[in-house]
Amino acid sequence: MIWLYLDPGSGSFLVQLLIASIAGLAIIIGASWRKIKRLFNKNKVLNDESDDEDEDD
Amino acid sequence: MKTKTISLAASFRDPSGFLFTREGVLYRQVNQAYADDYTRLMESGLYWKLVKAGLLVPHTESDIQPADEKRSFKVLCPERVPFISYPYEWSFGQLKDAALATLSIQKRALKTGMSLKDASAYNIQFHRGKPTLIDTLSFETCKEGEPWVAYRQFCQHFLAPLALMAYRDVRLNQLLRVYIDGVPLDLASQLLPGRTRWNLGLSTHIHLHASAQKRYADVAVTEARGGRKMSKDALLGLIESLRATVRKLEWKPAGTEWADYYAANHYTGFAFEHKKVLLGDWLSKIAPKTIWDLGANTGFFSRVAAETGAYVISSDIDPAAVEVNYRQVKESNEQNLLPLVLDLTNPSPSIGWQNRERDSFLQRGPVDAVLALALVHHLAISNNVPLERVAEFFAGCGEWLIVEFVPKSDSQVQKLLRSRVDIFTEYTRAGFESAFGQWYTIQSSSTVRDSERWLYLMKR
Repeated sequence: MIWLYLDPGSGSFLVQLLIASIAGLAIIIGASWRKIKRLFNKNKVLNDESDDEDEDD
Repeated sequence: MKTKTISLAASFRDPSGFLFTREGVLYRQVNQAYADDYTRLMESGLYWKLVKAGLLVPHTESDIQPADEKRSFKVLCPERVPFISYPYEWSFGQLKDAALATLSIQKRALKTGMSLKDASAYNIQFHRGKPTLIDTLSFETCKEGEPWVAYRQFCQHFLAPLALMAYRDVRLNQLLRVYIDGVPLDLASQLLPGRTRWNLGLSTHIHLHASAQKRYADVAVTEARGGRKMSKDALLGLIESLRATVRKLEWKPAGTEWADYYAANHYTGFAFEHKKVLLGDWLSKIAPKTIWDLGANTGFFSRVAAETGAYVISSDIDPAAVEVNYRQVKESNEQNLLPLVLDLTNPSPSIGWQNRERDSFLQRGPVDAVLALALVHHLAISNNVPLERVAEFFAGCGEWLIVEFVPKSDSQVQKLLRSRVDIFTEYTRAGFESAFGQWYTIQSSSTVRDSERWLYLMKR
């Protein structure tokens, strides 16, 4: 049993698993889609690469 | 000789460490139990990444004697946030930015193999104008396959109140004053309008979440999960989903009592300018380091005060005015001005365990100077507070007072008196001076040009 500082709640865990599996899939598909696009647009600058303001630090 | 150490009542829940003060300096003890996680935070580069982005309060390691030597691993000396404020004192935009900051921190943490073990709105403070995590001990090493333990807390502390403010009424952030661990999701789900079920984010993170909590209330977490694991992509997906949901929530300040106050023509530009000059002169004379501008509206005079270099709390009862104020802080990157929603007739009480977890507004004072511009008539006439009680209240907040007296003949006071019997025989300039004279000595006074108003500088 892993010791937890907060009680995460059983219902919260299940909902999270559900949402996260769908949203996680979307991330994987998105990443693959960008890879495919990159193959076809080698010479073009892709704007959607910089959609994440977290990374510009 | 042993110096006096005081443990702070707000940080007793987390076994990783706690806050204490010694000789007025704030320290955070890191316990042995948290040694591995702390080391990882510092060595993985996450600490610097977050500090550089202004998302985590910086600290230095200190070699002073720990407050609890047996359990201590290290003692940290965090950079001090000038004023601790609470989510029920924030405007919509402030709570939204605090939510987005929390998600941004979690995303960066996940990328370095760590995760936030709590997502409490109380761990975020406005520091140098921006939402910043103040609890350095909030991180833990990400356990392979485990879901985000703070997901429920994030929904209760941030998503539920933001959704209620955006879809129902902006004043519902006051629920946070009642529910210290955030708005219960079943309550949020009931209060939100039915159309929010068509919003994918809210229908899952709030409505479905609330039903699942009810359905699985008596089921143990391990049983409910049935061995299902969560990949790192799934965790990042969850954060993205929350971020998209929060970003879409909007509230615009419009149509409330005060937001367009300055636009409405109350007194001439001359009077306004003169008030600004008087205020600037007096403030440069008394040079306060901390100021509470009470009833600040959208913060015009707070900015005059902030220009002197003081740290200014710019409070108002109107969430729209505070929202406008906060947007200006963001736009101009103002670092020493904090807008807050505050009802002076019922200021934030001390709440939580033993009534000591969150301080009342007055406990977070006193300050060097109080500004009460165009405020006294609201307290004295709209709220029937005798003038000497108004003076007593201000005197409890700070040593210096810059206060405006607006006579009965002024259109603003006339407006307040229109719907009621004038029982305020003491409300004259002489009555005002004598009432305030019980608490203060008048250092300076002046009429405000082109108006019937008076401005006073008083010292306790």
